[in-house]
Amino acid sequence: MENQLPAMPDVIAQVPLNNYVLLASILFIIGIAGVLIRRNAIIMLMSIELMLNAVNLLLVAFSSYRSDPNGQIFVFFIMAVAAAEVAVGLAIIVMIYRNIRSIDISLLDKLRG
Amino acid sequence: MYPIISLSVTGLLTLFLGFSENKKIVFPASIAFLLIALATAFIDWNAPGFYFNDMLQVNNTSIVFWAILIISAILIMGFSEGFERFEFAQPAEYFAIVQFSLVGAIMMVSFKNLIMLFLGIEILSVAMYVLTGADKRNIRGNEAALKYFLMGAFATGILLFGMAMFYGATGTFNIGSGVFIGGDNSFFLWIGCTFMLIGMLFKVAAAPFHLWTPDVYEGAPTIFTAYMSTIVKTAGFVALFKVLSTTFSGLQDFWWIMIAVLVTLSLMIGNIGAVSQNSFKRLMAYSSISHAGFMLLALLGDHENALGSIMFYSVVYTLATISAFGVLMVVSKERIEKGRVYEQNDLFKGLAQNNGFLATVLIIAMLSLAGIPLTGGFWGKFFVFRDAASSGLFWVIIMAVLMSAIAIYYYFKPVLLSMSKKTSLESITINPLAKFIFAITTFGTIVLGIFPWILRSLF
Amino acid sequence: MSLIALIPLFPLIGFLINGLGYKKIPKAIVAPVGIGAALLSFITTVLVYFQFKADGQTIIQPLFDWITVGGLNISFAFQIDQLSIIMLFIITGVGTLIHLYSKGYMSHDEGYGKFFAYLNLFLFSMLLLVMGANYLIMFIGWEGVGLCSYLLIGFWNKRSDFGDAARKAFIMNRVGDLGFLIGIFLIIRQFGTLEYLSVFEQAQGLEMGNISIMFITFCLFIGAMGKSAQIPLFTWLPDAMAGPTPVSALIHAATMVTSGIYMVVRSNVLYTLSPDTLEFIAWIGTLTALLAASIALFQNDIKKVLAYSTVSQLGYMFIGLGVMAYTSGFFHVITHAFFKALLFLGAGSVIHAMSDEQDISKMGGLWSKIKITAATFLIGTIAISGLPPFAGFFSKDEILAHVFEHNKAMWALAMVGSFMTAFYMFRLFFLTFTGKFRGTKEQEDHLHESPSSMTIPLIVLAGLSIVGGFIGFPEIFHLPHALADFLSPLYDGSRAVNPEFGLVHLSHSTEWMLMGFSVLLAAVALGVAWFIYVKKETQPADPSQLGGIKKVLADKYYLDEAYQIAFVKPVEKASQFFYSTIDKKAIDRVVEGTGDLTSLLNRLSTKLQTGSTGFYILVMSIAVAAILILNMGTEIADQFFSIFNAQTK
Repeated sequence: MENQLPAMPDVIAQVPLNNYVLLASILFIIGIAGVLIRRNAIIMLMSIELMLNAVNLLLVAFSSYRSDPNGQIFVFFIMAVAAAEVAVGLAIIVMIYRNIRSIDISLLDKLRG
Repeated sequence: MYPIISLSVTGLLTLFLGFSENKKIVFPASIAFLLIALATAFIDWNAPGFYFNDMLQVNNTSIVFWAILIISAILIMGFSEGFERFEFAQPAEYFAIVQFSLVGAIMMVSFKNLIMLFLGIEILSVAMYVLTGADKRNIRGNEAALKYFLMGAFATGILLFGMAMFYGATGTFNIGSGVFIGGDNSFFLWIGCTFMLIGMLFKVAAAPFHLWTPDVYEGAPTIFTAYMSTIVKTAGFVALFKVLSTTFSGLQDFWWIMIAVLVTLSLMIGNIGAVSQNSFKRLMAYSSISHAGFMLLALLGDHENALGSIMFYSVVYTLATISAFGVLMVVSKERIEKGRVYEQNDLFKGLAQNNGFLATVLIIAMLSLAGIPLTGGFWGKFFVFRDAASSGLFWVIIMAVLMSAIAIYYYFKPVLLSMSKKTSLESITINPLAKFIFAITTFGTIVLGIFPWILRSLF
Repeated sequence: MSLIALIPLFPLIGFLINGLGYKKIPKAIVAPVGIGAALLSFITTVLVYFQFKADGQTIIQPLFDWITVGGLNISFAFQIDQLSIIMLFIITGVGTLIHLYSKGYMSHDEGYGKFFAYLNLFLFSMLLLVMGANYLIMFIGWEGVGLCSYLLIGFWNKRSDFGDAARKAFIMNRVGDLGFLIGIFLIIRQFGTLEYLSVFEQAQGLEMGNISIMFITFCLFIGAMGKSAQIPLFTWLPDAMAGPTPVSALIHAATMVTSGIYMVVRSNVLYTLSPDTLEFIAWIGTLTALLAASIALFQNDIKKVLAYSTVSQLGYMFIGLGVMAYTSGFFHVITHAFFKALLFLGAGSVIHAMSDEQDISKMGGLWSKIKITAATFLIGTIAISGLPPFAGFFSKDEILAHVFEHNKAMWALAMVGSFMTAFYMFRLFFLTFTGKFRGTKEQEDHLHESPSSMTIPLIVLAGLSIVGGFIGFPEIFHLPHALADFLSPLYDGSRAVNPEFGLVHLSHSTEWMLMGFSVLLAAVALGVAWFIYVKKETQPADPSQLGGIKKVLADKYYLDEAYQIAFVKPVEKASQFFYSTIDKKAIDRVVEGTGDLTSLLNRLSTKLQTGSTGFYILVMSIAVAAILILNMGTEIADQFFSIFNAQTK
């Protein structure tokens, strides 16, 4: 990881770093809002993916501005892990669908107290 | 480093064993694989070093934790003998997943780079999502799995956001050097620190990020509940300690008060919530929240002692928890109601009369969890209080002591029930391996209660 | 493991075997295990003695680090030096003999296995007490022997008054133990350690009369008062005679009750630093010696007489310590262990022969029936009375000489006590063994000498009572005082802090005179007792028919009754008050209130647990937001404003 990225292209530098951060934060908050508002398990899953992608964007932006490849490598890890997570998540959702013929999480509140 | 390789390979091997006609071979083979991993852990003993591009740090401390994790896994998996009888079980897959999840736990206790921390947490968590839902037909298990998954993934998102911010502030994922507030990037650092800590506190079930714990503990198959409450917790706390004591040690003023408040909250919610629980597993879940509070207390002390205290606490907590859940597993299989094993507290009614051995195991486990002297749990709490006292956190300690008093109430509920005259059970069969495990956990609890220094003086 | 650790290990193993296997182990094995454990311990002690003697250096044998709290580090270690080696010899030697004796004495008892288990446990605790290298281990042994004493006094637990006696012993000891414990805490506070070596080394740097040392020594001495039965905590010891006789011999005469003396000698540096405490000890000792001796004058129970005599002799030991004659006090511990164990075992043999009769008014003329017992008992009687050349003479005379030098009034009182001692002992002897038999016909027919397992210990102890005093000849005999030479290194610290220590100012003629006087007094007492009980054949009176001063003495100065009124009754009253008013009306309210509050909070906290995932995530998000705002609300606002400001520009 010692090798440095080539110098940052001007086209990226035209937008200040703060704007990337702001965009990523807004995406992240949209993701959170999605998880909070929706009751459909798949949509919630998608919202979580949105949160992760916001993080990816943030990492890439930082990585470029710092000319450091580590952040972009991390993004690959996140993508791979997210894929595994989605696979497991979908499997769980399918399992539930088989049992109760629905994927509305508001139906799942038998465990409480 | 070697157990990571060993467990990855043997995990795959276990999957292939699942193809064989003779399902009985999977269990002994898996235990053998875990033992091999335990043996390989000690290859690096007294040979500290860095691996994988300096992303993993191995030293004797981390090897001790590897050993704790692997031994706990062996002890818990010992209860799955005869697992193939259950229709829901695909033994090979579960044993493989257990081995993979241990890889994650091992990465969590020896990471040197946040990428490794993230991978470790995710490997362990994703495996736990699967294991929680292992009982596919059981709707409660399904619900638990989905809850755990959604909230876990959400927490992962927060953790990652924190890591990204941390990267933005420092330009590195290494946790070697401390970071300090000051300069332009301090805002990112603050956000990063907060979010990372929240993500990890979720994994160790500290209040107010504990809400998944009771539901998931109750819904998951008991054996994996035991796994979750011991291995995930131990690994999580070591990871928290590593982050707080290295990179964030310069930010102590910043996170210190936050952790102190969370300790108080965890202790209150855990102990007060447990008071009214009828389900033994829910009771243990709330107890696990309160124990998270106690272990967090150690993080507030000076770092010289904290790791030793956390190590000791996780060992005694693990021993007692395995005993408690083990007894639950052994006893509850004798009483099936509505096609499900019965897991309420009054399952233990008359246990002492029915089977004195199991009752003794249960009682000693409960005494240890409650922190009664002459059990390991007492010293666990003692060390933690001592650490906290060294940092002058007396209001938190007073809170903790008050809450331990409440804890005695609910820990004694199963104890008293087991002493009662009437019994609802017929004879209970215990297989020899389970008996052996009980002997180890109970003996360990007592020995650590009398000679705590044999373990505490390791580091 | 080294030899030293084996010494207490053997009795522990014996205890575990007999204790865990109680009722399962056949009777034929119980006694060999119990006796064997004691004997092996004794043999190991002999071996350790030779190891120690080779260079005479104190041996510290650490086993493991035990407690580390803050700066305080207490290791589990044993210390072998002059003092502990002598105690080891007494404990394991006399202990072995008494174990052997018990084999015969307890042979008909159903709790045979239990008895040997307790005896072994007692040996173990007592060995810990004297072998520990710090005050904490001493305290563990201290508590352990107290527990064993309690268990063994109440050994025949079917009789409730025996149980009461056991409780009395335990509670009185607890009062003393509290003092001991406070003393230990004060030592930690003063010296920061409990290890003997470092405590005494630090103490040598202190001034004479240091006030905190005075408190420490005083508190420790309160512990000794309880354990060694001194005023005011002595009334438990006579009651403790409810236990089997071997127990009285081992625990309540030879070993446990002398642990207070051991403790003072062990801490001699501290006590030398505190002359006030020493003066107090000397007076307590004097009063106890006198009081107990006077009570013993008119007791009719053979064991009670011996018990009061023990209390009185312990008083003499404390007088010796109080006048800084540590060696003399300890010398008396040794000789007393021999002759008092002998007397108790002899009494046990008499009781055995008399079919469990303890009242001497029912005895008489036993000399011809049980010759060995009678002869050995006579030796013991002479030894305790202080007639030369038996053991008691040397040790008592040495104490009295030091007392004379220290304080003439105290010496006079001690001499009175000494006279009474000789009188009541010979009274006991004459009433038991001479004259006509006063018991029932059945008892007379049943009279028999005890089995050899009981007589052998008697003979051995009688031999020791004769020659035991020769380890410490008075200076005027121009023979070496072997004991003083041996113990001398123990007092290096005391010599360092008090240059006066160990100097004798008495002229030889005075010493001869003192010695002659005390022998004469003992001989007169012997004569008086002979005149009253043999010549005139006075019968021991029934205590209820005595009058005047005799009645007061026979009723033990009404001390038990006084304690009952002064302590027991008020405590009962107070406890009644605390129960009905404070506990019921105040504390219970608070406790119930706590419970109500907890369940209220519980309902609130479980309300959070709705079971809805969406709600959980909402709570989490709110918590995150709250943490962010509380931690750095202003920074977030600043940051956002700066970003927007940058945009608008």
